[in-house]
Amino acid sequence: MTERVLLKNTANPDFHRIDACLAAEGYQGLTKALRKFSPEEIIQLVTDSKLRGRGGAGFATGLKWSFVPKETERPKYLCCNADEGEPGTFKDREIIEKDPHILIEGMAIAAYALGVETGYIYVRGEFDFGARRLEEAIREAYREGYLGKNIRASGFNFDLHVFRGAGAYICGEETALIESIEGKRGQPRLKPPFPAIEGLYGCPTVVNNVETLACIPHILLRGADWFKGIGPEDSPGTKLYCLSGHVRNPGVYELPMGIALRHLVEKHGGGTHSGKKIKAVIPGGVSAPMLPESDLDIDMDFASLAAAGTMLGSGGVIVMDETTCIVRVAMRTIGFFHHESCGKCTPCRDGLYWASKLLKRLEAGKGKKGDVEELERLCGNIFGNTFCPLGDGAAMALRAAIKHFRDEFVYHVEKGKCMVS
Amino acid sequence: MPKLTIDDSEVEVEPGFTVLQACEQAGIEIPRFCYHERLSIAGNCRMCLVEMKRSPKPVAACAMPAADGMVIRTNTPAVEKTRKAVMEFLLINHPLDCPICDQAGECDLQDQAMAYGLDHGRYRETKRAVKDKNFGPLIKAVMTRCIHCTRCIRFSTEIAGVQELGATGRGENMEVGTYVEKALASELSGNMIDLCPVGALTSAPYAFRARSWELRKTESVDVMDAVGSNIRVDVRGAEVMRILPRLNEDVNEDWISDKSRFACDGLRYQRLDRPYLRDGGKLRPATWDEAFAAVAEKVKATKARGIAAIAGDTADCEAMTALKDLMAALGSPHLDCRQDGAHLDASHRAGYLFNTSIAGIEQADACLLIGTNPRVEAPIVNARLRKRFLAGGFPVALIGKKTDLTFSHKHLGTTPNVLDKVASGAHPFAKVLNKAKRPMLILGMGALARQDGAAILAAARKIAEDSGMVNDGWNGFNVLHTAAARVGGLDLGFLPGKMGGRDVAGILDGAGMGEVEIVYLLAADEIDMDRLGGAFVIYQGHHGDAGAGRADVILPGGAYTEKNATYVNTEGRAQVARLAAYPPGEAREDWKIVRALSAVLGKPLPFDSLQQVRARMAEINANFAHTGVVAAPWGTFGEEGRLDPAPFASRLANFYMTDPISRASPTMAKCTEAFVNPARRRTGTDG
Repeated sequence: MTERVLLKNTANPDFHRIDACLAAEGYQGLTKALRKFSPEEIIQLVTDSKLRGRGGAGFATGLKWSFVPKETERPKYLCCNADEGEPGTFKDREIIEKDPHILIEGMAIAAYALGVETGYIYVRGEFDFGARRLEEAIREAYREGYLGKNIRASGFNFDLHVFRGAGAYICGEETALIESIEGKRGQPRLKPPFPAIEGLYGCPTVVNNVETLACIPHILLRGADWFKGIGPEDSPGTKLYCLSGHVRNPGVYELPMGIALRHLVEKHGGGTHSGKKIKAVIPGGVSAPMLPESDLDIDMDFASLAAAGTMLGSGGVIVMDETTCIVRVAMRTIGFFHHESCGKCTPCRDGLYWASKLLKRLEAGKGKKGDVEELERLCGNIFGNTFCPLGDGAAMALRAAIKHFRDEFVYHVEKGKCMVS
Repeated sequence: MPKLTIDDSEVEVEPGFTVLQACEQAGIEIPRFCYHERLSIAGNCRMCLVEMKRSPKPVAACAMPAADGMVIRTNTPAVEKTRKAVMEFLLINHPLDCPICDQAGECDLQDQAMAYGLDHGRYRETKRAVKDKNFGPLIKAVMTRCIHCTRCIRFSTEIAGVQELGATGRGENMEVGTYVEKALASELSGNMIDLCPVGALTSAPYAFRARSWELRKTESVDVMDAVGSNIRVDVRGAEVMRILPRLNEDVNEDWISDKSRFACDGLRYQRLDRPYLRDGGKLRPATWDEAFAAVAEKVKATKARGIAAIAGDTADCEAMTALKDLMAALGSPHLDCRQDGAHLDASHRAGYLFNTSIAGIEQADACLLIGTNPRVEAPIVNARLRKRFLAGGFPVALIGKKTDLTFSHKHLGTTPNVLDKVASGAHPFAKVLNKAKRPMLILGMGALARQDGAAILAAARKIAEDSGMVNDGWNGFNVLHTAAARVGGLDLGFLPGKMGGRDVAGILDGAGMGEVEIVYLLAADEIDMDRLGGAFVIYQGHHGDAGAGRADVILPGGAYTEKNATYVNTEGRAQVARLAAYPPGEAREDWKIVRALSAVLGKPLPFDSLQQVRARMAEINANFAHTGVVAAPWGTFGEEGRLDPAPFASRLANFYMTDPISRASPTMAKCTEAFVNPARRRTGTDG
């Protein structure tokens, strides 16, 4: 088993306290950054490390940072996306609750690199405990001089605020998150302009995931080459995988990028808790298309999963054993997206409404001939036509369910009941 | 200039254009619901998706900036499929109730469904329904029909400047509304009816009254204020059913005020449809011959200097020309078109015009408002000021009654003392004006229609001159009129004659003292009728309002929708209102009445056709010979003098009722109750 990086201290129940952090190597990355690096050098370092965003899209972090204009009179902002709303994902919560200082340190380094003086941590509304932990940690960091004015006598100022969301999945989308912080209705914005140019309050803004930012201090301390040495070449580093569903050992696992999915589920997860056969696995949160058992020999990295028609997403691995009704899974999944659709664009708002109603009817045994084809047609009419990726994700998830388990859908239509139970 | 390829043909467009605009330039129509050229881009309806080379997904044409080398396709099977998909989604929750929907026949969704809709529904689930909202007396909401394009939200937030409308709820529960249910307090709210691409927001007063295809449409101009908004009058039979805005970039863009739009139901009530004579203290119906004979008899018995004429706020230029010439023929110098007593100086045209022009506001970089509330007096001008304000770098200050203009401004004070300070350069805002490259000021009737009006006019002129408001190609001095007839009257010289002619105050004083024996009121209703004393009053107009109540003879004329008439707006722009419906009963076009009367009085006027009257107008003032605005040369106007310390008061207490038509309008009465006097206690007799 490889070394734990992000979670190496989470076993220590006191590590949310700054004293415990400082006794280890807490804030040494920040100190090093301020003493030894120019902002440009840090951006270069992160670019060299090939760190890719851990929120789902896997965009190169260094590249994202490089889009922010250097010379601008406007203030710049850094937002941490801690909205963690993807069903099956609970990795950011682990960091927030157990090692909040690594996030604060990562944000401070990023802020220094980007020329940002104000940051926000947008915390999922349900994470009350986590938000309080963060607020406490921020107070400690101010007290110890790692936040605020003239940090470590470097002349660098950085203020950090916790902003609590109100429970909308869409606010995990970066522009909707920005709208929400501005006090507006949580809805995605038009791109372009991209947040790096016009984000929060119309100013250049970077939005990074918790896990992404938590990698930064380690990269600072140990270098880009060390980071690149873990996992595959084009998406290095460790990854927090969230194992849930019909698995014997659910939880958050920190393992290198590119680990085989079967290895993750069977070795680390211990297979299904019932001992029954695995039917399918969702590899990256419910918007990632599911893989049937036969496809589990795949590497958990951005490129491999994309090639298989799915995605690493947030790393939320949901295991389903053979007793699972896929029609019900599809109904619950689309029901979630339908509930969380912000209502802005037509295909997502009305398309998911339609698909959700149809699936409910189908699941209840009232399917009609042609319903499966109708669902496929709906997926085609939603996918690619929506304003933001929410609708696309839903359509992709439903498409995969029908593709791999069409017989179950057809059974529901023809027999009016479930194939597996 | 970006060059892009759209459907195999190359198009060069202005920088900043979107793909949708580029397509339009290339003559390719892109279907859309949420996009509107005057509102911010939302990109939410997804109807305008087109194919773009190198983009894996279709792109929203409305939101994609046109860039050099782009290759766009709008006519592929994939685009067709996308449009059909979006249309089908829109229709699943849209009630298919076109037969009972007022929007039918002029509905974007209906029209585009003809092109992209299926001939049968595939949707077999239950439909969504939304509780209707109460948006007040003007807008009827059927929210189940809403397709969430958010045009109304963007209009109210961006153009009208009232942050009252928004969306609540997510996904299928998303609803457009005010959250706390209330009427929309904006004088521009009716424009949301036009913007709504479906039948979710329709006109409440017009509800179920006519179908769009039954209407005869006449292009005309509005007279509810001095803006001269371009309108379309929709008539069925002899009845004006509704009024809609007509695009004029220089004046009203796409908008009209609620009064311009909704006061038209006042045309159905209180109409003077036949002549009347006062007989034994009571008005009785009479024939035209009897009415003219009564006037002739009185005129014959009166010396020329005992006759006076006042033109009201909606008098047309043709009628004023005829009446002015008749008064001259009779030998009376007593005539005035400034029934509010405003000290407008007609010696220099620049002294009574909105010289900057309404569109010119967008070039200004500082503004001083004096004794005016443009939001009430001219909502369209206020919308233009707001538009300019939103573009940034436009400090605005107000001297006058404190008010909400929908954009932030400095309130400098309420009294002319502050004006004095600005004029002397002692006030900090004088420096703002001095620093500005294109400063402007707007002088309202609240500043001019007072005893010291001439001195205020002079002070405003001084500010204009001292702060460089008048220079080559720029004139920042503006008078904002409130009456559609005023500038026309001033241009025609409907003013006291040189030989001791009396102005309005003089006429009223003279009437009170018995020196003026005949007063001819041409649609003048806003004077104090009690001061007319024992004078013989001829009222020519279209509504049974104050003037008719006091009249001894009533000559029924036509309202603005019932005559071919010229009005000059506050900018000095001569525009033509066209006859959309004939005047009711025996009422006639106004200039013809005066022409007919002149023959009875033995002083026949030398014009028998509209062309001849208009030729006479151009003879009096060359500005009537052309349309558009001509820069007026600067001069010395106003009279320097002491300013009265009394605070400026607004001339219009109630935006919704300012003239005989709007006072007769049941819709305007409802608005008055809802917006102006909401706290009024209702008693059992209120019904």
